[in-house]
Amino acid sequence: MDHSPVVDIKNLTKRYGEFTALDDLTMHVDSGQILGFIGPNGAGKTTTIKILVGMSLPTSGTAKIAGIDCSSGASQIKRLVGYMPDRFGSYDNMRVTEYLDFFAAAYGIPYRQRKQRIEEVLETTSAQYMRDRYVESLSHGMQQRIGIARVLIHDPKVLILDEPANGLDPQARIEMRELLLKLAASGKTLIVTSHILPELARICSTVAIITGGKLRAFGTLDQVMHSLCPKRTFEVQLADRADCGKCHAFLESMGNGLEDLQSSQAEGVVRFSSQKDEQSLGEILREMIGAGLSVTQFREVPSDLEDAFLSVAKPAGATA
Amino acid sequence: MNWLDNPVMRREWRERVRSWKFLAAFLTVGGLAALVVLLRWPSIASLGNTATAGDLGGASGSGVTAAVLSQGTMDVFRPLAFGLAATIAALVPAFPATSIVRERRRGTLAMLLQSPLHPVAIYAGKWLVNVAIACALISASLPAIAATHMLGGLSFRSHVLPLLGILVLMVMVFSAVGLWISSRAQSADGALRWTYAAVLAIAVLSLIPSILWTAGSGAMPALGKWLRACSALSAIQEVLGQGASGGEGILQTSGWLGPYALASGLMIAAAAAATLWELRVQNLEKNRSAGRVTNEQSAGVQWFRRLAFLVDPKRRSSGIPPLINPVLVKEFRTRKFGRLHWLLRIVALCAIGSLGLTVITATGTVAWGAPRIVAAMVILQLALLLLFGPSLASGLIAGEMESGGWVQLCMTPLKAAKIVTGKVMSVVWTLLLILLATLPGYFAMGYIQPELKTQLIHVVASLLLSGAMILAVSACCSAFQKTTAVATASSYGILLALLAGTFLVWVARDKPFGKDFVERTLMLNPAAAALSEIRMPGFETYQLVPQAWYVSIAITLFCFLLLGFRTWQLTRPK
Repeated sequence: MDHSPVVDIKNLTKRYGEFTALDDLTMHVDSGQILGFIGPNGAGKTTTIKILVGMSLPTSGTAKIAGIDCSSGASQIKRLVGYMPDRFGSYDNMRVTEYLDFFAAAYGIPYRQRKQRIEEVLETTSAQYMRDRYVESLSHGMQQRIGIARVLIHDPKVLILDEPANGLDPQARIEMRELLLKLAASGKTLIVTSHILPELARICSTVAIITGGKLRAFGTLDQVMHSLCPKRTFEVQLADRADCGKCHAFLESMGNGLEDLQSSQAEGVVRFSSQKDEQSLGEILREMIGAGLSVTQFREVPSDLEDAFLSVAKPAGATA
Repeated sequence: MNWLDNPVMRREWRERVRSWKFLAAFLTVGGLAALVVLLRWPSIASLGNTATAGDLGGASGSGVTAAVLSQGTMDVFRPLAFGLAATIAALVPAFPATSIVRERRRGTLAMLLQSPLHPVAIYAGKWLVNVAIACALISASLPAIAATHMLGGLSFRSHVLPLLGILVLMVMVFSAVGLWISSRAQSADGALRWTYAAVLAIAVLSLIPSILWTAGSGAMPALGKWLRACSALSAIQEVLGQGASGGEGILQTSGWLGPYALASGLMIAAAAAATLWELRVQNLEKNRSAGRVTNEQSAGVQWFRRLAFLVDPKRRSSGIPPLINPVLVKEFRTRKFGRLHWLLRIVALCAIGSLGLTVITATGTVAWGAPRIVAAMVILQLALLLLFGPSLASGLIAGEMESGGWVQLCMTPLKAAKIVTGKVMSVVWTLLLILLATLPGYFAMGYIQPELKTQLIHVVASLLLSGAMILAVSACCSAFQKTTAVATASSYGILLALLAGTFLVWVARDKPFGKDFVERTLMLNPAAAALSEIRMPGFETYQLVPQAWYVSIAITLFCFLLLGFRTWQLTRPK
């Protein structure tokens, strides 16, 4: 079985004159994975996508999809990739089936198979009820679905979706999330950019964070969180709120390794952050109990993708 | 609120005046007016050997008869007046035509209508700024008009002031009509197309009934007279003292200033009222039909609709047939008038128009002579080609860029050549329809005067080449612009320079241009070749065929090559 990645980017660099839009980017995505491609505006996401879909040439480095070079094999790439840009690009006076039929014909799908294929993609995107609607009369959420139906029409291996959840209401966002998971489950490889990070965190198997053209973090969600947020936050819940001050003083006396100490008497909680390993943390808990503190819970406060992103997206010189 | 303290007016004024395009337009109008005056400035020899340079400058008339001076002045004033009127018709409508539709598409119209500003204030702001900007452009020609006035023989009250009044009225009418169309349109290119069609109808087509029903006292001559009052042409001719222009009593003019002012006032008022009606908040969101198809309705409804439409526009359409360029089908389907039921209606209209033309040519050829009838048909067809060609072709690539569809098109495996061919052919069929509609008219003429057969074939060939050139230039402009409005305006600019500009050189034939220069210039214009072939008075001395054909073929091929290259470039990785 071939385990080579479906999307393979190596040392990709793109310069526009003096400006470096992409600087030595290396990453890969395996079959059936969803890559969350995150970065602030102007970070280089669109440049990367344009190179991947064969619309832009890199200054150096390589980008391959299913082993085909995106620069030299642009025409083959078009059949392997389905790209949905952030603008829908609708045509006036066209019904949904006519719109899909045009793209199916443009991709060279034979006349006899086209009708069936249109039905399949409408079913996949749960958009059968829109079939006779005029494209420009559809709501934004509906248009996003038809956009996905369009990129699926030629059954590509890789889907690149630019901000698919942008501007969607909560219900439509949930439906979009389920649709993307369904596509990944069917074996498609997805690269998804989004500014709605909690959404990405729920669906992505891999995350890449890019700022200023440089890849800041890449890996599974856990790996990225650990590499970008090495300090974990812990919470000590006390049965007796009066113990808060005592607990705070005790943890302070533990010295180095425990930072950002905060106590909330109202909640009966003391929080701190630390990079200590599990064994050291167990030791701290044992000592707290030994000191007579009424500890009822000792837990890690999960940090999220937003925290990870902000830790690298913060402009230089900015303070927390 | 002080009417001058209108935020829409201030914003529009700043936006327009700050643009470099305004300065360019101002300089162009001023430069062209000066050029016309310089080209037509009477030479000492033309005024007779008795004139002196001093006489010309001061127009005091010492030794130069008033009649000669007056004729010399009119030779300068006439092309200047018509040139200014043509410039207004070409430049002014583009801006009001896109003004409201652009705001609606951006979503800023809703914000304006939700603000405390009354729709009247919004409309007045837009209309007044359009009029003011156009008046500023007209003012660029004042030095040229003043120079003409200095020649003598030109009265400020009888000539200059009425002409300026007519030009300002033209501006007011075109601005009002443009804004009304813009308030109803769904896209900027559609608004442009309809506005230029309205300008053509008001300025030129309104004259046709009065040409057809010249005499008698019935409803038709009266209607023709009223319609003719809508066009500025009769009023301008009256100011210029061209009572017999057009010849043979077709366009005799007198007493048209008052009716023109009245008709303009009515048109402005009607257009303003209609625009204000469209600017009501409840009209803001015109929901697109959800798209119920006939296939889901009862058999009776299906049967009735098939009978009524022949091709039911609401039936579920079949897929794009194999071996047909999908881009061609897409282009037709995305145009409102490209749908099959509309094409059938257009073909029917063309057939009726064609029959009408055949009758006119059959009777007219006997009464007025073939050259005049052919010239009228050539000019009419040229006007239609100029109207439809750029408005259809200018959006081919620019429209895709504007809507974001180009990226999607580039992501398909379609080659640049196939995209271009599909897009261009969608316009070719439409333009061919316009040209073919008049063929029976030419056949009728060829039947009546068989000796004209070769000339008529040459005329049709020249018109086909005109259509090809208009299409190629417009499509080429489309590939180099990012918005349809700019592409359309550029196309009109280039084509007017090529087609109307060469006629301006012809107007200045012998003064100062010699026959050779005029002939060489007219070779850029295949429509001029058609007129020379039919021996239209004024063109009979020029031999333009086949050289003019070669030139237009060369221009067309060059533009198509450029279009192909640019499209290839746009589909290539950056």
